[in-house]
Amino acid sequence: MAGTGHAQLRDRDDVLLRIKDLVVQFPAGRRRVVHAVSEVSFDVAEGETLGIVGESGCGKSTVARAIIRLVDITAGEVVYEGRDLAGLEGEDLRKVRPRLQMIFQDPISSLNPRRRVRDVIAEGLAVWGDDIGSWSRDRIDELMDAVGVEARYGARRPHEFSGGQCQRIGIARALALDPKVLICDEPVSALDVSIQAQILNLLKDMKRRYGLTVLFISHDLSVVKNVSDRIVVMYLGKVCEIGSTAEIYSHPAHPYTRALLASIPEPAPTVDAEEGDIGDELPSATDPPSGCRFHTRCPRATDVCRDVEPVTEQIGDIDHFVACHHPVAVEVRTG
Amino acid sequence: MVEQASAPAPLLSVRDLHVRFPTERGAVNAVNGVSFDLYEGKTLAIVGESGSGKSVTAKTLMNLLPRTAQVSGEVTYDGQDVRALAAAGTKHFFGVQMTMVFQDPMTSLNPVKRVGEQIAETLRYHLGRSRSEALEEAEELLEVVGMPEPARRVSQYPHELSGGLRQRVVIAMALACQPRLLIADEPTTAVDVTVQKHLLDLLDRLRRDRGMSMILITHDLGVAHGRADDVAVMYAGRVVETADARTLFFDMRHPYTEALLRSIPRIDDPVHHRLDPIPGRPPELIDPPEACAFAPRCIYAQGDCLGGVPELSGLVGLHRFACLHPTGTERGMAAMSANRAAGVTAAGLPVADSGGGG
Repeated sequence: MAGTGHAQLRDRDDVLLRIKDLVVQFPAGRRRVVHAVSEVSFDVAEGETLGIVGESGCGKSTVARAIIRLVDITAGEVVYEGRDLAGLEGEDLRKVRPRLQMIFQDPISSLNPRRRVRDVIAEGLAVWGDDIGSWSRDRIDELMDAVGVEARYGARRPHEFSGGQCQRIGIARALALDPKVLICDEPVSALDVSIQAQILNLLKDMKRRYGLTVLFISHDLSVVKNVSDRIVVMYLGKVCEIGSTAEIYSHPAHPYTRALLASIPEPAPTVDAEEGDIGDELPSATDPPSGCRFHTRCPRATDVCRDVEPVTEQIGDIDHFVACHHPVAVEVRTG
Repeated sequence: MVEQASAPAPLLSVRDLHVRFPTERGAVNAVNGVSFDLYEGKTLAIVGESGSGKSVTAKTLMNLLPRTAQVSGEVTYDGQDVRALAAAGTKHFFGVQMTMVFQDPMTSLNPVKRVGEQIAETLRYHLGRSRSEALEEAEELLEVVGMPEPARRVSQYPHELSGGLRQRVVIAMALACQPRLLIADEPTTAVDVTVQKHLLDLLDRLRRDRGMSMILITHDLGVAHGRADDVAVMYAGRVVETADARTLFFDMRHPYTEALLRSIPRIDDPVHHRLDPIPGRPPELIDPPEACAFAPRCIYAQGDCLGGVPELSGLVGLHRFACLHPTGTERGMAAMSANRAAGVTAAGLPVADSGGGG
């Protein structure tokens, strides 16, 4: 694709979150506009983990922030349990926010350094006390225990903990409000290698224990594969490929997905190393390429890619959708 | 064992390097007795997590430590005593014979100077080139590092370039004086995977074309695996295992190396594969106990692991490891079975009765 289209949207009762034609633009001065997210559509079913993967500038974090309205939505829909969050304001927006919680990349700077960690975790409960129901010191202790931070350290401040511990506290804070959707934006990228696995396993345990639906954003293809049921590959504000994780990693059809898989230090066996040889230069998001936004770096690009934006199409009848005029031929498989 | 008479002398040889930083809370023992050899044309990867001492080791080689650092040990480059050269204030050694590329190209470039001028500066200072000669050479160097449109780029500022192109400028600067040893400290940590591949390919090509040796400092085991001849794994200021890359990744002996490899998700693992994390976290470097630093997190730990720091066994240049109960040996198997039966290691770490570690 890097294209548009709705073929990937599922008509199922258990879809919890549906993003349709989401557009996020930022003013860049002199009447120019950064096209951060351009007509992106995908959905997440209840209990699913959806991974969003792509390089810096692909819009993956902006999508996450737009869903919980940390950035303004320029156009499009974010439908959560049948309500479009894009249009909500004031008290209506405030009411829905505890249902969607987020954890961030930098675990230390995302915690208030002046507050005790017990208060950091309890803050949402204190704010929401009347709406959420009763809460108590026991509830905080239980949360700290669940994420593996000893409750007796509750009076300490964030700087007294390591990065991994701070990320656990960030997770406890997010879980305190009993959310349905947990959005994780590069939650392990800032952590040491030996700590990453602890946090990834913890997220899986919490997902099961609290019945969460998870949006997991990362640039690390191995990490995303480990946690996700389905994935979306994004490039320069557009969706390239979407489908079940096992399917996309075993039969990547979009040239960009293949380039990513070929570029990692120990490349995936499903691609050739040369497929990673796309140019260094990411085009400007203020003046994105015409047609398929990936055509300037794509080894398979032809004239049509420059002129016509591809639309997502299903491969066979399986959970695999690609937006590309020349997807890498994979034999059509049926589910 | 007898050293082969035909064996060439290493280009760089480090023996028993120690680096301490005095702080208000006590001395931080950042590097505790590191030794290794690097031969002409080879790449050595130094792998470790934050605080392992890998970057401090590199900065010591390049004489870039703050004045407060207390250093001991020997560093020999091509027969010369590098620490003596540093003490004598030698101007045309660091940055000429031996150069370094840092993690973040934005902070190693001057933001208010055109990139051509910055490369030219090195050539003028170290090699005495005239301004116009140096600018011409700068353009050639940009071409060597695969910079698109080098003639236009020389007059651009760093902020006008992408992260990948900035790192190419830094590499061009490092190459300017035809160094024989390039130290790359996490050169691709700040860039995207597609750019990372290009930069690592570039460094590989330059090393081969110019017969350079390279020290590649990284936290990424995948990078070390694909790009290095030899690998040294550091933990808490010590090299805990070193071998050729194949041996290290497929026949490791140190439990930390093994645990690290088991804990990372890999692209060919099945979806939702349960990871084996390393329990606990890295140790404090102030007043470390006289014991194996990894023992508190190690599923093999026995009483003797807590009684002293294990030596790095074996000859320099061969497979060496600092462990009393190495994985893949009878001693290691016995230690593991004993801990499983007891349900706990000598250091108090709970161990499950079966299955993997963690």
